[in-house]
Order: sequence, then structure tokens, then C-alpha cells
Amino acid sequence: MRQKGTIGWLKHDITHRGVTAWALSAALFAFYVILYWTDWLDPVAQALHLGSKWTLYGLLYTIAITAGGIYVMRKYRHNKYQIVRTTVIIFVQATLAFSVPLILKFFNQPEVYLSYLWPLKIEYFYPSTIASWPLPFIIWSIAGSLLMVPLLATFFGKRWYCSWVCGCGGLANTAGDPFRQLSNKSSAAWKFEQYSIHITMLLSFVVTAAVVASFFIGDSSPMLQSAAGEMQSAYGFVVVAILSGIVGVGVYPIGGTRVWCRYFCPMAAVLGLVQKKGKYRITVKDNMCISCGLCSKYCEMGIDVRAYAQRNEDFTRASCVGCGLCEEVCPRGVLHLENSDKPRSGPQPLTIDALVDESWKDRHVSPHAEEKQESVISVNWN
Amino acid sequence: MHFVIIGNGVAGIEAAFAIRDRLGPGEAKITVISDETDYFFSRTALMYAYMDKLDRRDLEPYERKVYAQKQIELVRGRVVDLDAAEASLRLQDGSTVAYDRLLLAVGAKPRMVPFAGLDEVEEGLVHFVSMQDLDECERLTWSTERAVVVGGGLIGVELVESLTHHGVEVTFLVREPWFWPAALGKEEAEIVAEHIREHGVDLRMEEEMSEIQVDDAGRVSGVRTNLGDEIPCQMLGVAIGVQANVEWLQGVSTPPAINRGVMVDRSFRTTLPNVWAAGDCVEVDVGRRPGLVETIWYSAKRHGKLAGLSMAGERVEYHPPLFYNSTKFFELEFTTVGDCVDVADGATTLFRKMPGKPISQRIVANERGEVIGFNMLGSRFDHRVLEQWIHDRRDLAWVQRHLQEAQFDVEFGRVPLSKMVEKEIA
Repeated sequence: MRQKGTIGWLKHDITHRGVTAWALSAALFAFYVILYWTDWLDPVAQALHLGSKWTLYGLLYTIAITAGGIYVMRKYRHNKYQIVRTTVIIFVQATLAFSVPLILKFFNQPEVYLSYLWPLKIEYFYPSTIASWPLPFIIWSIAGSLLMVPLLATFFGKRWYCSWVCGCGGLANTAGDPFRQLSNKSSAAWKFEQYSIHITMLLSFVVTAAVVASFFIGDSSPMLQSAAGEMQSAYGFVVVAILSGIVGVGVYPIGGTRVWCRYFCPMAAVLGLVQKKGKYRITVKDNMCISCGLCSKYCEMGIDVRAYAQRNEDFTRASCVGCGLCEEVCPRGVLHLENSDKPRSGPQPLTIDALVDESWKDRHVSPHAEEKQESVISVNWN
Repeated sequence: MHFVIIGNGVAGIEAAFAIRDRLGPGEAKITVISDETDYFFSRTALMYAYMDKLDRRDLEPYERKVYAQKQIELVRGRVVDLDAAEASLRLQDGSTVAYDRLLLAVGAKPRMVPFAGLDEVEEGLVHFVSMQDLDECERLTWSTERAVVVGGGLIGVELVESLTHHGVEVTFLVREPWFWPAALGKEEAEIVAEHIREHGVDLRMEEEMSEIQVDDAGRVSGVRTNLGDEIPCQMLGVAIGVQANVEWLQGVSTPPAINRGVMVDRSFRTTLPNVWAAGDCVEVDVGRRPGLVETIWYSAKRHGKLAGLSMAGERVEYHPPLFYNSTKFFELEFTTVGDCVDVADGATTLFRKMPGKPISQRIVANERGEVIGFNMLGSRFDHRVLEQWIHDRRDLAWVQRHLQEAQFDVEFGRVPLSKMVEKEIA
């Protein structure tokens, strides 16, 4: 019996929700519980002269992104978009998300992660945080969240952040790459995502507003002050610790890499809303799709890309992070990520049912045919 | 009215959706009968399932609940008789199905020739067009060290790639002097051949299988070629083309007119009343002889939609678009538009090649200098733009200047067209 090369990596236990996948998931969960709620990692960090467990975590995260990034760059070496994007991910992680905060701390400055912005880092809009910062950081943070994010998203979609800069996306697109196909592609998951991500976004707004309000008028309203405090810690526990940390990374081997980004990230929600109105879209080559489904399979956000491709429809989905893997795996080169002002083809927006509804009456009647012979549907794609 | 569709391939399902698009459940009951699978799947993706890049379920282009939502009934069964006088079908299990309007979307099956030794073969000979073929290939791969694939077409190279992926040593026998002369010119065929060989495939041109050898159990044990070479193998893939799956139709109570496929007019009507046909199983009468047989995915999809509309009462007139097709040879993507091979005398061909890389473009112009065909290898082009240029009768020099407008490569990854080396071929 032959063995070599017979097990494809898709069918491998660890990337196919096998026993090792569940074990890895459990180990990741355990790691995050230990990291967040014990001080067991502090001695390890000190032994490595890293100061705190958080610095150790940052180092591990940076190593994972760098090693995973090298793997991904080799894997997709013929694809320039992937090379450039992955290089930027590694660079941003190694500098803005790791060494810059360390250097700041060394010079007794506040430990600011310049690659993260509100509402992903909700505390960056808390007055108590801002009060401890020097002015340039305050300007960067506020202008970044309120101006740069929507402006860049208008021109480039959410990808400039979600799959070029953000550390959560960075880990997903590097070390997480072997798990990307595990995302849930069902229309039910899409429905759930539309609720969950916008609910989290609204929560982040409400909590921020409450905390800011309590800072200014809290003295005269003890009830607001205590409510804001409780909301702040509840949000920190549920959204930041559980959803972005434990669930976000812990379920990689079971539910794919972008569970946090897709269902919960408030920043992704804001970017997505802007993206829908902006210039970014995925263009589909007409009548070239063979419905193979590789695009949908390897979409980490669980978008059924094939549903659009096979009905020749350019599209922009709020959740699309522009990683470009659908474009990479398409065996017929049907898909193209682009920022463009050209009008989109096909009806927008789509409902789930519309994905299989094709109104041929209006769309494919050739004008020349009508001149010659009324009511004859003459299909000539030339 | 009861619409019955035989075949749940792309033509059959597109037809079912097109009918439902026009007629609600109160007006049309739609039944799709297939003996291959329960649900429509993408036949073109079989190789990705074989290569473990997709699971079986991923091959299904629509969520299963869609059929229930659209009230399209899927029946698993094999139709063995068609009686147009009675407007009824008989299935293998003995049941009968009455129809008001019938669509034959029964596809194509692998072409086969009586190779010497074929009668002895019990196991080890595979094709690669059906779900059952995929099952068979997967079952045999485990006990295969070497395989021989016969036939230098698209399915052949897909099978070769899949086997190579599983670590099987493959000998690829191609009868023609260069690879896939039906679409490729000699120059790009050489690039493709080199690329296939780089993956460890023993690609042999102008060599044919002359005899199949089997072991005591009837399993393929080797093949002999017309050059007298003996190649031991445990799997033999035969991919020498497909032909309309119409043999069974010749024996039914009321056979429709059949030539190379079921004869249909431009509205996909057969010679039988209330019976339509579409997809790989048809020959369309387009006013010349022989009629049009298009056994490619894109055509079947189009046929299905139009046949469905025709059945739903629309007046349909099919005018096949300018020919185009696409494929992938291992990592090399290929798009062809218009006429690039077998062109009339007086045509000029511009062949552009990227030095040191498997990237090339062939642009063919007729004797008046108007562009009539493109073969794009190793980089992405938008075939719709190229089609438009042919339609607009652009001249070669104009196309040369504007070629980058049709590029479809990934961002940052545009092939630098100015670095390509050009030569004219008379």
C-alpha cells in the first residue's frame, strides 16, 4: 500500500476538525485562560528578561506572525499581492504592535499600540487613557479613528486595515492560513453575522459614550458613574477577553481564523459599513466561472463567493477583508480585487434568495434581436 | 404543467431555475431526475475533490435548501424508456413518470475505442468525468505506484495533475505531435509540455497505447505503446474525449432524431413533441453541416438556461457566442478567445513570450489584419475585452498598443507586457 503524499492537507486531521484539531483548540483556550487570569506566565517572562507576561505574549504573537508569514509568502510566492500584503503585516506587527510600545515603555512613555484604534481598542477613547498620553498620540488616535479609518476605507475598502495592518487579521492570514477553509459558509451563518457584529459595534459605542459621559458628569450622577464602570468591565470581560482573545484565536482549528473579525469586531463593523459605500469591490469576469467552489471554500470570512461569480456579478460584501485568496485560488482567474469607480454589474444589494434568482427577462435580451424580431430572446454574448 | 428534466448537471439545473424564474409553483411542477448524484455538483471541480482541495459537499454550487425553496423535486433514478406518444418516461425501478414538457440534459460520456486487451480488464481502467469516476479513482489511488494516462486534452491533464499530487508516477501518452493542438499553437504547447514535465510527468508526444495488459485478477498491469515500449502501471486513465450520451436514446420507444447528439433547433426543441434537449448531449442545427456540438461547461450552462426559457413558453433563438474557453495546466492558466488554430491562409500570428517564464500570448489576425483570436497563457486576461476587440475588428497594431487594458492579473502582479519578446509567425 502506498502512503506518500496521499493525504492532502485538507484531509489532514489537524486542518479537518480531527482529534488533534480539538486538542490544539483546547490548548489555545487553556493558554488564554492562563494568560488572562493567572500570573503563571510572569516567572517565565522574567526568566527571559521580558518584564511582564504581556511582553512575552507580544513576543510569541510576533513570532507566530513572522513564521506564519514566511510560510504564507512561500506558499503564494507567485502572487505579488500576497507577498506585498504579508510583508506589510509582518512589518507592522514587529514595529507598531511590538517593538515601538516596548521602546516607548523604556523611555517611560505610555505603552501605545499605534496600529490599533478605537473601537477595536475601546480604551483608546476612554478619558482616563487619553489623559495619560502625550498630545501626538492623542491626535493620532482620535484622528485615526474618526478620519483615517473611514477615509481609507472609502478608497480601499476595509482591507487596508483588516488584512494589512491589524494584528488579529495578521495572525489569521499568517499562522492561521491552514485553517482558513473551516469558516462557516451557510446563509444561516451570514444572517447571524449581520446581527452579531452590529450588536457588538453598538455595544462598543454605548460603552464608550457611557464612560466618557461619566468622566464629565459622573460627579453629579453616581448612578451613571457606577453603571459606566460596570459596563466598562463587562465589555472588557466579554468582548475583549472572551471574544477577541479566547474565542478569536482558540477556535482557529475548529471554526476557522476569522471568527472574531467576522462576527464580533466593532472596528470591522464600522469599516464594513463604509466599505459597502466605497470603491472597493471584487470584479467578476462574465461567464468564465466553472462553479468549482474553491473561492468559497478558502474564504476565511465565509462569503459564498461562488454564488456571485457563477451569476457574473461584481460584488462588495461588508465582511470581505480583501485578503485576496479567492482571487488566488480561482483556477480560471475569474475574480479581481479592485478599487474602482466603474459602475458595478448586476443587481445590488442581494438577498439570499436573490443569489439563485435570475431575471433573464430584463438582462439578456439583445437590443439587435429586438429590432429584427419582437419577443425573441436571442442570446448572443458578443 | 409538469416539467421533467433528465439530468441534474449544469444544463438541467440551469433549465430548472429558468423555468421556475418564469413560472411559479402553481403553474409548473418541476422534477429533475438523475442517477448520478442526489444534488447538482460542479463537474469541472472533480479534480479539486480528487486532490483534497475540496470536500464532496463543496462541489455543490447551491445550498441544498434552495431546491426546496424553489420547489424543484429531485429524484434519484435512471430513465430507461421515453414514450413521446404517451408523454411518459419509464425508470429502471419500473415506475413511470408522466410529463407535459421534457428536457433531455443527459450530458456526455467518455469516448472509448476498442483497445487491444480491453475485454480482459476488470479493474484499474478509469475515466474522469462522473462522480462515480471520482470514487473509482480515489479507491484505486492507494494501490497505485504508476499510472498511464492516455489522451492529450483537458480531462487528461486534470487526471495527470491529480495523480501526480498523490505521488503517483505518471506516464502521459499524447497521440498528437504537440500538446492539445485543438487549441494550442506549437509555441505555447512547448511551454505547457515543459511545465508538465517539470512536475515529474513522463509526457510522451506522438505515442499511442496499442495494448492493455492485465494481471491474473484482471487488474491493469501495464500498457504497450505503438513504439513497442511496455509501461507497467496499476491505473490506466483514458481521456480521449467525450461524446453525447445518446446511445440509450436510440433504443427507447420513440427516439428523437440523433446525429452526433440529439438534434435540436435554435430553441432547443428536438424532433419529438414537447421534448427539448440541452447541454453536452445535443447537436444544434445552426444552418450548416455538421451542426454545433459544444461539450464545454459554459455552453451547457447557456443551453440549459435558454432551453428552460423555451420550455416555459418564451421564444428563444440561440446564437452561440464567439468561442472562448479556459483551463489550467498545473499552475499555468490559459484563456483562448476566437480562432487561433486552423486559421485560413494569409493570417498573421504575433507570438509574444516572456523570457524565462511560462507566459505567452498569441494574437492572430486575418488577411485584412483584423484580430480574430487570442491564446493567453500564464497570465490573466479579461476575455470579454478580447471578444469585444474581435467583434470591433481591431487591427493587430491597435491591439498591441492596447493589450494592457485587457489584463486581469492580481494587483501588484501585472505582467510587464513591454518586457515580452515578440515574433511574427507567417
